[in-house]
Amino acid sequence: MNHNPAPRYRLGVDIGGTFTDGVLIDSRSGEAAHSKVLSTPADPSIAFMEAVRPLANAARANPEEIQYLVHATTVATNAIIEGTTARAAFVTTQGFSDMLEIARQIRPSLYDLNFQKSPPLVPRRLCFGVPERLDAEGNVITHLDESAVEEIAERIRSARVESVAVCLLHAYRNPVHERRVGEILRAKLHGIPVSLSSEVAPEFREYFRASTTVINAVVRPLVGRYLASISRRLRERDMKDDLLVMQSNGGVYSADAAVERPVYMVESGPAAGAVAAAHVGNLAGRPNLVSFDMGGTTAKVCMIRGGKPSVTKDYTVGAEAQRGAGAFGGAGGYPVRTPVIDLVEIGAGGGSIAWIDSGGALRVGPHSAGADPGPACYQLGGDQPTITDANLALGRLNPDRFAGGKMKLDAQRAVEAIRSHCAKPLGMSVEQTADGIIEIANTAMVNALRLVSVQRGHDPRDFILVAFGGAGPAHAARMAQESGMAGVLIPPSPGTASALGLLATDLRLDRSATYLKRAQDVEPSALADQFNMLEIQGAEALREDPRSGSVIFNRSVEMRYVGQSFELDVPAPEGPCDAVWIEAIVQRFHAEHERTYGFKATQEPVELVNLRVAVVKPIDKPRIRPLPKGTADGSAAVTGHRQVYFSENRKWTTAALYDRYALLPENRAPGPAVIEEDDSTVLVPPGWAADVDEHANLILTQTSSTQGPQ
Amino acid sequence: MTLQENRENRQQLDPIRFEVIRNALTQATEEMAAALRRSAYSTNVKTRQDFSCAYFDPQLRVIAQAFTQPVHLGSFVEHVPRAIKRQGIENLGPGDMILSNDPYGGGVHLNDISLIGPVHYDSKLVGYTACLAHHVDVGGGAPASVGAFQEVFQEGVIIPAVKLVEAGNIVEDVFRLVLAQIRSKRETAGDFRAQVASNLTGARRVGEIVQRFGLSEFLRYVDEIVEYTSRRTQAGIAKLPKGVFTAEGEVDNDGFTDQPVRLKIKIDIDDQGVLFDTTGSDPQRRAPVNSTFAQTFSACAYALRSLLEKDLPVDHGFYKYVRINAPKGTVTNCVHPAPVVGGWETHVRLNDLIFKALSTAMPHDVPAGTKAMQCHSGFGGEHPRTGEYYCYLETLAGGYGARSTSDGPDAVQAHGQNTENAPVEEVESNYPLRIHRYGLIPDSEGPGKHRGGLGLRRDYLFPSPTIFTILADRDKAGPHGLFGGGPGSISVYALTRNGREQRLSSKTTVQLQPGDIVSYRTSGGGGYGQPTDRDPNRVLQDVLDGKVSADRARSVYRVALGKDRASVDEEETARLRHSRQNANRTDKPERPN
Repeated sequence: MNHNPAPRYRLGVDIGGTFTDGVLIDSRSGEAAHSKVLSTPADPSIAFMEAVRPLANAARANPEEIQYLVHATTVATNAIIEGTTARAAFVTTQGFSDMLEIARQIRPSLYDLNFQKSPPLVPRRLCFGVPERLDAEGNVITHLDESAVEEIAERIRSARVESVAVCLLHAYRNPVHERRVGEILRAKLHGIPVSLSSEVAPEFREYFRASTTVINAVVRPLVGRYLASISRRLRERDMKDDLLVMQSNGGVYSADAAVERPVYMVESGPAAGAVAAAHVGNLAGRPNLVSFDMGGTTAKVCMIRGGKPSVTKDYTVGAEAQRGAGAFGGAGGYPVRTPVIDLVEIGAGGGSIAWIDSGGALRVGPHSAGADPGPACYQLGGDQPTITDANLALGRLNPDRFAGGKMKLDAQRAVEAIRSHCAKPLGMSVEQTADGIIEIANTAMVNALRLVSVQRGHDPRDFILVAFGGAGPAHAARMAQESGMAGVLIPPSPGTASALGLLATDLRLDRSATYLKRAQDVEPSALADQFNMLEIQGAEALREDPRSGSVIFNRSVEMRYVGQSFELDVPAPEGPCDAVWIEAIVQRFHAEHERTYGFKATQEPVELVNLRVAVVKPIDKPRIRPLPKGTADGSAAVTGHRQVYFSENRKWTTAALYDRYALLPENRAPGPAVIEEDDSTVLVPPGWAADVDEHANLILTQTSSTQGPQ
Repeated sequence: MTLQENRENRQQLDPIRFEVIRNALTQATEEMAAALRRSAYSTNVKTRQDFSCAYFDPQLRVIAQAFTQPVHLGSFVEHVPRAIKRQGIENLGPGDMILSNDPYGGGVHLNDISLIGPVHYDSKLVGYTACLAHHVDVGGGAPASVGAFQEVFQEGVIIPAVKLVEAGNIVEDVFRLVLAQIRSKRETAGDFRAQVASNLTGARRVGEIVQRFGLSEFLRYVDEIVEYTSRRTQAGIAKLPKGVFTAEGEVDNDGFTDQPVRLKIKIDIDDQGVLFDTTGSDPQRRAPVNSTFAQTFSACAYALRSLLEKDLPVDHGFYKYVRINAPKGTVTNCVHPAPVVGGWETHVRLNDLIFKALSTAMPHDVPAGTKAMQCHSGFGGEHPRTGEYYCYLETLAGGYGARSTSDGPDAVQAHGQNTENAPVEEVESNYPLRIHRYGLIPDSEGPGKHRGGLGLRRDYLFPSPTIFTILADRDKAGPHGLFGGGPGSISVYALTRNGREQRLSSKTTVQLQPGDIVSYRTSGGGGYGQPTDRDPNRVLQDVLDGKVSADRARSVYRVALGKDRASVDEEETARLRHSRQNANRTDKPERPN
């Protein structure tokens, strides 16, 4: 694929809330190097370059040898959460300019008499209505009043906004007015970007489309500046500045495309983790898995089937934790109708605080001690017991090897915090309490796991758990057992695995359009034309020739029974769009509906709501350097023994300590054991064993069910 | 029970297992809600989420509920046990489900139909899953089954706990009999199937939990769930101010006469708990304003729950503390055959009154008057495209009451009601009408140091003949203010025909002609504190956002704008406010009661 042999390095940089992770892969040898530096929120490009520098230096890579550079960032989400988005204007159909104010007319919490609605991202004074109207079929009822648009343009100009969003009623059906509004605004507002709903997310239900378009508009200026500053710094170091950016859907797009459609990257960072898990699973021949990424403040769980993370369009940014949101899917925050990797994020991380509520129950989270003051054992001033403290108190973490030994932990402080805040009020021992803290967190995480599996109709027993993030590997075996999963896979360097995901993905653009026709009314040639148009648009946006064969098109149709409101995304059958094709996709829909909801209604008419195309340009995946094989006996990697309290037998047990870097493929570490590496700790409970596979993954399986009382 | 005794009892129990089982049961009901919502057909269920789901234990105590509509959850607790007893516990086998909406069998209005099924594990009864959906039509005198009638018989099909599902199969005869009464057959049949899917989902999940822990262990922890919530509820009630608090108010009219419907509430809080007493409320009417006991219970339960800790679970351990004295034969506990479709109007107004009664004792905990009406908009007719009879129902938001430290949010549902709006594009794609406009109403807020939320306006344009029902309220008096805050605007219901607008009653059914426009303009929320104490800059921001007019800023808030219309004229404002204070020395701030 690559005709120039010189560029050989691929670089991934993942900027998170606390840390910026880098990974460099030499595509010739398959060797990987990792870096981790503190993030620099004031100017994230500083940490970006600090993460790049040691990697490039260590590899002695010439700047021109960098093949490409992929980036994941939370800059867009953070701006929304922190309220630092751009000043923007919103233009819609006259009579509906309060769309953002009214939103969904519901309260985010039922019993809170002091609740607040999420404030609109565009204030009312910058929302404008233009005289025009289409009906639901897209026919013009009221012609666009162009002079009114020009007047609005003038008012927008004098209001000194940085960006404009346009969403007219039924523009998903017929964008004629919206495009004209866009032309007039662009002509009058030199250089101010205009986001049109028919371009950003042409799907029906106006508030959701408007919200998506507005988010695009309000993060656009800052994403533009941000990516420009990274490009500038790259050029300063003579590196190629054609950066790729991870989207929420797990594919990457060019920095140029990211500036145009930043709403597609709001969940860039978490998506990288899910993609990493899928990649690791695929290499290991485990395409069906649940990705479990547990860091300092949150845990993220995502279902991956057939090697692909599942993707949703029912998503909200800037809401409180999704947990407990129930049928509302989080009534706060701002809905986004672009494809987002379907993950559930909950407030359970190493820093989550354990406490006793007024009913005398032990609770964990959602409050987090974060990195400052941090868990009690960090000795940075925190005195509340956290999950990390509980793990340390139970001997599951090595106080001298946390963060590669750069940070000393104080086990006594952990024990004290647990004793005074939780064990004493409960009348329980410190061990029981610490174990309880972890079990409660595990329960919440298992529930999240059920949300993405059972609730979507999947049986967890058919999946393995791929665990990473600094805290994930210590909890993984127990979670797998609680949810009945088949086993656990832990990749090498779990603490920076997300960044690896950046190098394991394809170029991808998603395009979709609302179609809204009953199956019996579909005209195959018109349907084929629609699909072709989406494909050409997508390919052009990737700057690829749609006929060259360099890109792959994955078609799917969002379908439902006529009268329902929630669609199921049904992959399109192969072959041309003809009557057979339509019959086949209808049958697929019935089957999918039965699998999801437990019933199908074959007598009922079926509707094709949205056509979707994922345009994918495959990129060859990094190879991991083959490792020398060892034997089943992993004892050479044993560094000692320690007393560890396991949830499985609820007692202090002597566990063997292994150095992960000394373990070789085919080695086995039977539990009870603790496998340590610089950025994470793997717990192998009694009755479990860890096997090293050829890619240096640890595969944890239950070898016997001899466990004590639960 | 003392804390010490409590602790000893609990020592038998593993607190961790407790959390696991409690979360798993809640999760089961949330999965029920997701299944119902995603597979339902009517806009009212699938988009507006007018439904609720719950798990009851074998003793018919509610143990877990999904986070949906509080109105249902309170009424559910009354309805489900009675429906099951009516059918007879012994008559319910595995795979059976009963359907019920009987207002005089513990139910509410006829549109709210519950489907209830036993859960068996290893051929032993382990509880019940139940889901309730507000069906868009249940027959009766007008499309969407809302309207002013004089007997419950005119309101639609009454379903007295009959088996809809037997051993896993729908009983076709019953299904056909019920559907035969209903206008929107296809949508409603789809919603019933979704309810079946919801119960099946719940039963499967509860079965898995029982399998994991064993039945006796499971039930032991179910007991503890109730005990736990009970302890927390008791602790919460102990912190409430003790005393007797009262308020009076009224629903504007009853749909047949203009005579207001008087409501009285007395809340007695002592060491024993909380007693809500509606003695003194009007006798029931032959008009759609009668609340069943379940509806009144639901109002009181919601109010009490809102005064306790935010994360308190809502299960039997909470509900058992909701004590009510609602005399029979009044609008707060009507008897057969009074019509009930508008009982929710009475119910939600009781909520406002409860908070008003408590406002002097708990000034930081309760809001000023909210929209506090259900505000139904129901219509139907022959769909010109399909020739099928269609029905549509929605409820509109209004302004929320201001609170001691913040403004009331604009255009939002209140109290037990939290149904979403239907997207204009969805409504227009499926039903023969156009939404003509949909926006906030400037100057509708109740003024105050913290202002009430703005009401909203929604205008419907009908191109074909349609029967339209308004079942709402608040067109005589706006939501009350607190501590000197002014009331929110009144609601207006209007019909525009041939370019001429006429007011409509808040409870009426009209036959529309092509081209007619029906307009809803809902109330703003009440204000909190003196408007002249409002931060002038906040007044300015409202003016700049077009939420409050400059005239109103000057006349009500006593804030003058500078010549640029973008700043506060401090001097003039001070002068206005000073003269206001002197002029009004004798004015007593508006107080509740």
